[in-house]
Amino acid sequence: MAYQLYRNTTLGNSLQESLDELIQTQQITPQLALQVLLQFDKAINTALANRVRNRVNFKGSLNTYRFCDNVWTFVLNDVEFREVTDLVKVDKMKIVACDGKNTGSNPAE
Amino acid sequence: MFVYLLTNWSLLCPLGCACTHRSGPISLRFVSPVCLFLSQALHQLYYDPNIENKNLAQKWLMQAQISAQAWQFCWALLRPDKVPEIQYFGASALHTKISRYWGDIPAEQYGTLKTQLFSQIALFASGSKIVLTRLCVALASLALNMMPEAWPGAVGEMVRAFQEEGGAADGRARCLALLELLTVLPEEFQTSRLPQYRKGQVRGALGREWAAVCPLLQQLLRQPESPAPVKARALKCLSSWVLLDVPLSESEGLLEAGFAALADPELFDTAVEAIVNAISQPDSQRYVSTLLKLVPQVLQLQEQLREAVQNGDMETSHGICRIAVSLGENHSRSLLEQVEHWQSFLALVNMIMFCTGIPGHYPVNETTSSLTLTFWYTLQDDIMSFEAEKQTVYLQVYRPVYFQLVDVLLHKAQFPTDEEYASWTSDEKEQFRIYRVDISDTLMYVYEMLGAELLSNLYDKLGRLLTNAEQPTSWQHTEALLYGFQSIAETIDVNYSDVIPGLIGLIPRININNVQLADTVMFTIGALAEWLADHPVMLSSVLPLVLQALGNPDLSVSSVSTLKKICRECKYDLPPYATNIVAVSQEVLIKQIHKTSQCMWLMQALGFLLSALPVEDILRNLHSLITPYIQQLEKLADETPNPSNKLAIIHILGLLSNLFTTLDITKQEEESGDSAPPIKSTPPQTGPNPVVVVLQQVFALIQTVLSKWLNDSQVVEAVCAIFEKSVKTLLHDFAPMVSQLSEMLGQMYSTIPQASALDLTRQMMHIFASETDHFPPIKALFELVTSVTLTIFQQGPRDHPDIVDSFMQLQAQALKRKPDLFLSENLDVKAVFHCGVLSLKFPEAPTVKSTCLFFTELLPHCADVPPVGQVVQDDGKLLLLAVLEAIGGQSSRSLMDQFAEVLFCMNKHCFGLLTVWLKEALQSPGFPSSRVSNEQKDTFSQQVLRERVNKRRVKDIVKEFTLVCRGLHGTEYAAEY
Repeated sequence: MAYQLYRNTTLGNSLQESLDELIQTQQITPQLALQVLLQFDKAINTALANRVRNRVNFKGSLNTYRFCDNVWTFVLNDVEFREVTDLVKVDKMKIVACDGKNTGSNPAE
Repeated sequence: MFVYLLTNWSLLCPLGCACTHRSGPISLRFVSPVCLFLSQALHQLYYDPNIENKNLAQKWLMQAQISAQAWQFCWALLRPDKVPEIQYFGASALHTKISRYWGDIPAEQYGTLKTQLFSQIALFASGSKIVLTRLCVALASLALNMMPEAWPGAVGEMVRAFQEEGGAADGRARCLALLELLTVLPEEFQTSRLPQYRKGQVRGALGREWAAVCPLLQQLLRQPESPAPVKARALKCLSSWVLLDVPLSESEGLLEAGFAALADPELFDTAVEAIVNAISQPDSQRYVSTLLKLVPQVLQLQEQLREAVQNGDMETSHGICRIAVSLGENHSRSLLEQVEHWQSFLALVNMIMFCTGIPGHYPVNETTSSLTLTFWYTLQDDIMSFEAEKQTVYLQVYRPVYFQLVDVLLHKAQFPTDEEYASWTSDEKEQFRIYRVDISDTLMYVYEMLGAELLSNLYDKLGRLLTNAEQPTSWQHTEALLYGFQSIAETIDVNYSDVIPGLIGLIPRININNVQLADTVMFTIGALAEWLADHPVMLSSVLPLVLQALGNPDLSVSSVSTLKKICRECKYDLPPYATNIVAVSQEVLIKQIHKTSQCMWLMQALGFLLSALPVEDILRNLHSLITPYIQQLEKLADETPNPSNKLAIIHILGLLSNLFTTLDITKQEEESGDSAPPIKSTPPQTGPNPVVVVLQQVFALIQTVLSKWLNDSQVVEAVCAIFEKSVKTLLHDFAPMVSQLSEMLGQMYSTIPQASALDLTRQMMHIFASETDHFPPIKALFELVTSVTLTIFQQGPRDHPDIVDSFMQLQAQALKRKPDLFLSENLDVKAVFHCGVLSLKFPEAPTVKSTCLFFTELLPHCADVPPVGQVVQDDGKLLLLAVLEAIGGQSSRSLMDQFAEVLFCMNKHCFGLLTVWLKEALQSPGFPSSRVSNEQKDTFSQQVLRERVNKRRVKDIVKEFTLVCRGLHGTEYAAEY
């Protein structure tokens, strides 16, 4: 099964919003909606792994880190993103990282 | 026709009727009309050109498949006189019933069902393959449901049943059918919907069954007379079983047979798959002695690999590489620890190195090398995680290997010849770019192990290459070495490396005769910007190169971004070069060499550069830089608006905002404590800030532009952006502009309201809220924009969700920074409140979020701001109703946390009122959703009222309740992930 953490993105949220609406108006069943969502997980995992190679550098101070159920979580403070066009500063950043090669497990964010 | 069909179906068997238990699953009662309809529907599904008919047929068939009568018609559909499509549907219905409606089957009928399935599989062993597979899946599902108690030794029985002579199918067909059945069994387990506790049981039982499968596969794979299709199927079966984590030690013999099968082209792919699956099982690392036996077997493949590479046989080299990499990648730690076998592991590492360096260009001549990159990370991690003493020993062996890897990678990163590259498709070029990024990431990581020596190594190579007069150097080689430098310097602090001055000294010796090379030279200089800030004396060697490249449109992105990096990092050392940089920049801007976005970066670069100059120099430079644009803008402002001069206006306004974004004459104090915000110290200065001077000079012109373009949101946005960026950079220095800007914004907004004006008002509110001298104009502006927006609400706000969004953010900001604004007689608090309630029902999520924020800022002021208290008391129930409606399903589920916060605030700040309102509101039947019962509503309100401290808990309560309201509660779809 593919990772589900991308459901909580703009794209994933919009999809769920549409599915919710279709369920509420009884046009599809929750089972079908689940299948669509699983398909979304698969597609976005593949697309992000294979189609994206853009790089952005950042630095900040590491506040907390943990490794639980094969998921790394890092909380950073005062992070600076350096991209060609801009320098963006954020007070807090949370990184959730899963093993891109491991498709057997299903950690949750 | 289909309407008739459906009607008939429902006459025959109303779906969901209770006939399930009356007619058992294996009744062979022939329901001929149903079969007829099914045949017709299937025909329609496969062959009807009309898509609507197809959909209708599919829907009907899906219903039929799960109906009670499926138990009867499935057998009838499997009869030999039916076509495979119909038989397939029958088998598929059977599987659906067994896997999803297991509870329908009385225990005493299990045996008969099993016998029935066995005989069907025997019949189809020499029949249609797709039907056979479906039947095997059905029997597998039956076995999984019965294991272990109701059917102990299931696999043994399957093996025996198919080994018995008899039936229509010959031995080979029966053997293939058995292997098919054994292959789908673990697969069906992986996808089955068994409850969690059963999964564990069944997994254990299946694991024990391996004892029956293993010898069978071994026999089939080792027998020289086994036909290739049987061996292929046996390998597939092995692939499927190893996924169940069967002990690797028990599959040793099978893997050996798998390696032998690699020599047979017909079996190659299946054998690779089986070996890779077995090696990659997480559990396999426990069987070190088996792993050690695998190493020589993998090494023996080198000859086959070399041959494949020589013959350009990409499939074979790819497959062998996958095997080597899977062993190395999954087990490097275990194998490294077997010190006495260090040579054979090193040989494996070298074999993978060969795969990394496979001849040819990626992705045109080979696609194998990219498979190996992750291995190098893993190996490095494993070595570096050893304790110091052990690590030193390993590093002695592996540092040379990693130096070799760097050479190999830089060789692979080289561009092909110009002619060859020109013949590549854009897709191939993109693949190659991605591949180079992966190599760059690997090099960056390798640096952690090799350290500064890696840089000196690269430097030596580059030096030899550039100073060797005898051999002509290819630009590709030089480019790759620089790319290596850039990969490392871009992210890693190279400050302590002593070769950077030498590298910078070498750069002018490079004969830049190619765009790619020139780009890489630029990016390398850009990557060294931080280093240059610490070694400003070197600036004079690189700046001329950058300024020269600035005039070349082909190097637009690399040269402008490099200049920007240098200006950002080294601004305090650049004043001696400022005149020159400004002059060159001005020239390229006038000649329009760069695209819009690069022009914007260039302005940002100039902003950084000017920031470090004395005020009079800034003003002088600004004057010469901006004057041509001001003149152009004056001209454009006179013209009648049209699409082309609009773009020109936006371009000029954009240049100004980008310049003011980075032009900051205050000095940021470095690291002024842990949590304190950066303190800005202004150098002693005589006059106002130069940016303010310029803004005041162009103010009248901007007003003229605005007067013509007031109803164009893009131009208004561009104008607001100039001030917004300036406010952000100047902060309190912006004060002299506050009054005139407030007046202009007020006029703008009263004529044509635009969201960007509200955002700018909010920005000023944020900065000047506590400055008594400058706040009055902002207060007046706030009251004005509020009353104008209220008029929009009267006329119908649905067309302006962006304005509503910005308006709510502005109100929230006002409540946060200056709540006494809500005491003013000029502010209609009641109307603002009602607008908020209305905005909660907007479909635009950002607008609703901002509105929730407004209410969470408003409610805490119930006690200290009387007009707020009054309106909440009078109309708070309306707010509650809107919130409940949203939770009841009217608003997106992703916004529930925000609504929960409003509810929490109401509970905290007007508890008494909320208690009454909640009771009243939830009394009306069907509110907020017809799906919730009175008990559920009661529980919800009790839970909410109880939580006055724990916000997280309220969010959970709301989440739970909204799922019930939407009919999603308890579904797997809405389950938390």
